[in-house]
Amino acid sequence: MQAESSQLEPTPSQPPPLEQTTPRLSPVAASLLRTLFTLLIALLMGALVMWVSGKDPLQAYRALLQTSLGSRTAVANSLLAATPILFTAMAAAVAFRAGIFNVGAEGSLYLGGFAAAWVGFTFTDLPAWLILPLAFLAAGLVGGLWCYFPAVLRSRLQVDELVTTILLNYVAILFTEYLVNGPFLVPGVANAMSPQVVPAARLPRLMPPSQLNASFLLALAAALVMIYLMTRSKLGYEIRMVGDNPQFARWSGINVAGVIERVMVIGGILGGLAGAGQVLGVHYRFIAGFSSGLAFTGMTVALLVRNSPVGALLAALLFGMLRSGSATMEIMTDVPRDLIRVLEATIIFFAAIEFGSLLWRRRRER
Amino acid sequence: MTYLFMQSITKRFPGVTANDGVDLSVERGSIHALLGENGAGKSTLMRILYGMYAPDHGRIFLEGREIRIPNPRAAIQLGIGMVHQEFQLVPSLTVAENIALGYEPRRNGLVDRKTQRRQIEAILERFGFSLPLDKPIADLPVGIQQQVEIIKLLYRKAELLILDEPTSVLTPQEVEGLFAVLQTLREEGKTIIYITHKLREVKTICETATILRRGRVVGRLEVAAASEKELANLMVGEQVVDQVFPRSRQIGQERLVLKQVSALDDRGVPALREVNMTLRAGEIVGIAGVQGSGQSELVEVIGGLRPARGEIWLNGREVSRFSPRQRRQRGLAVIPEKRKEQGLNLATHIQENVISTRYYKPPFSGWLTLFTRPAEQFAGRILHEYNVAAPGVRSMVKNLSGGNQQKVITGREMIDHPEVLVAAYPTRGLDVGAAQFVREAMIGRRDQGGAVLLISADLDELFAVSDRILILYEGRIVGEKKPDETTFEEVGLYMTGHLHAG
Repeated sequence: MQAESSQLEPTPSQPPPLEQTTPRLSPVAASLLRTLFTLLIALLMGALVMWVSGKDPLQAYRALLQTSLGSRTAVANSLLAATPILFTAMAAAVAFRAGIFNVGAEGSLYLGGFAAAWVGFTFTDLPAWLILPLAFLAAGLVGGLWCYFPAVLRSRLQVDELVTTILLNYVAILFTEYLVNGPFLVPGVANAMSPQVVPAARLPRLMPPSQLNASFLLALAAALVMIYLMTRSKLGYEIRMVGDNPQFARWSGINVAGVIERVMVIGGILGGLAGAGQVLGVHYRFIAGFSSGLAFTGMTVALLVRNSPVGALLAALLFGMLRSGSATMEIMTDVPRDLIRVLEATIIFFAAIEFGSLLWRRRRER
Repeated sequence: MTYLFMQSITKRFPGVTANDGVDLSVERGSIHALLGENGAGKSTLMRILYGMYAPDHGRIFLEGREIRIPNPRAAIQLGIGMVHQEFQLVPSLTVAENIALGYEPRRNGLVDRKTQRRQIEAILERFGFSLPLDKPIADLPVGIQQQVEIIKLLYRKAELLILDEPTSVLTPQEVEGLFAVLQTLREEGKTIIYITHKLREVKTICETATILRRGRVVGRLEVAAASEKELANLMVGEQVVDQVFPRSRQIGQERLVLKQVSALDDRGVPALREVNMTLRAGEIVGIAGVQGSGQSELVEVIGGLRPARGEIWLNGREVSRFSPRQRRQRGLAVIPEKRKEQGLNLATHIQENVISTRYYKPPFSGWLTLFTRPAEQFAGRILHEYNVAAPGVRSMVKNLSGGNQQKVITGREMIDHPEVLVAAYPTRGLDVGAAQFVREAMIGRRDQGGAVLLISADLDELFAVSDRILILYEGRIVGEKKPDETTFEEVGLYMTGHLHAG
């Protein structure tokens, strides 16, 4: 209706809104409820899909649970699958909370992964205590820088970060692919891989025979740091104010451009670390296309929990379970692992209600 | 013949009775003025007529038949149209697209552009308009945009047109144009309700007038038979004695100085033109002007939110290149114009709203961490000292009344005794008590040696609290008056560009 915007304008005769005193569900309880509801719907949808295609949903879910939590190794594998998602979920949550749509963590993940691999196969003489921090440092640096570029475009020139980061992801993915097919091609090995990193640059396994490795601990630490950052720190306050109402933040004297830049760079650093963790802990080399959308899984997680950092930590672990369980479930039952994608898609669908309001706010702010 | 009759309309909002048994009757084919000061209840009455509010009491008759108007769409179907102060146009669409928007003729489910064009051209011809139908709205001056709004109503077959302070955004030449348009509409048999608080316009264009004061009808008369003075007395009423504050006793050194400051508005059009002004300790300087004379840009330029040419000095130091925060650190505080958009974060509670200008300093935070205890105490102090009616410091700001929201902002900006306070429309939309509270807070700050720049649309307020009044017209300071040495009328002449200093 054409009258709506003027209805919202405060005018001398506009009424003060009623004071609201009705008790409500606490925000934490409400968001928990919403998350559980979304998950439940997703599981039901998955069951429906299986039932329609003539499979037994109960059996499949039992298998899923069994293979993700049923044994020490199963748990370890779930944590392994959760490791990169922890990083990327935090990257997505922090950006979303500031009202920023940073998809660039995927590109950072590739470039950071390659940087870590490069350190690992180039400085062959360094001891583990030096080469590992160096590799992660390089990964974080490259990942952060990669997102700094679109961040500056966004904060200084109002170039839409969603567009730039999506496009730059292709640049990063294809560039690393070129690197391992060209300058860093290993003769005699299947191409699209870098040389292996030296043994000193390989992260220790935590629970063999699972591939679970020390990068999980790093991811956990990073998640805790991010929880502190978003809930207790000055920057976290700034992020929340900018995300809620950038105009208010500006009028209050908060450096909105600076907050946006920091948020995007933090996302890039986390992406880079995620890549390094996969390279140094699982693959021991850079493999082209190794991520297949880990940053997007992180975004799904962040959407599911509506950017709550604690929620992101828990949901990332849950997604790890789903991912690792689905692989074995496929073997044990005849339910394909793509079912898990159905679950994730359903989650995205329901979380999209939040997603939509986020996009709406982005538009209004311009 | 009476076209519209609104009978004893009453509308109450919490704390305010906006309309109290208001009668309004309008003849077909006439221009009827709805006259009154800001807050007299004109807009509420018209929003009721346009279906935006439901009245608590009262009936509405159109051509003798009682009608109900649940929403604006129903009003449009009844032939009632409204031109709002803020135009409801889509800047990127063309004039023709805007006119037909939402009411496009269709053929086979698609917009029938040929018919649409023919219909619009027929209307233009009948009413003697010429508009660039294919130009996007964004490229057109405000006066033309207003004409587009009017044509839009005619396209929707409006018989009764409500114009809400239509000249507040227009230049004098554009006002002439508008009046010509209104004459034509009247000759074509349309009925017009003209909301205004400008007497000259009433005398020029209207035949009859209903005058509102504080939600009641205080007069209904033939304009030709009444003098401007008579109208003014009805509108303003008796001066309320307790509204006048003692003037400043001690004026000190320069606190805020603007030298040759110019700035563009969001459209890139000059909004401030070489503004010079000086604000001293212990005085309140009021800025008067019709809406859109550069007030918003002035506040933004001083606050550091809009780039400008020229120099801005704060407490003896040039701050033209300083960020908003740096200016605040030099003693500036700003009560922004838009309470809910700029002044508050509605998504969070009072505590987080009141620390937004100081969270980064001790005792609110350390090197990295934000502490909650000091914030809680600070918010509690604001609730207490500024009489905010709220259950606690963790109450969501969106659940507070407008007055209490404004008190939260006022407290945040004033509790530290800023040397320079810029207050943009700080009492807009507040009830009498809350408005008085905010005014007293500004007076208190002044008496303690603070410098206050008050931007207001309310002449009563400006006359009551200002020590000097500067008049802004088309981005220029065109006059400076002491309130005790001038009249509403004289300031009004400056505001409308009829008088210039020097």
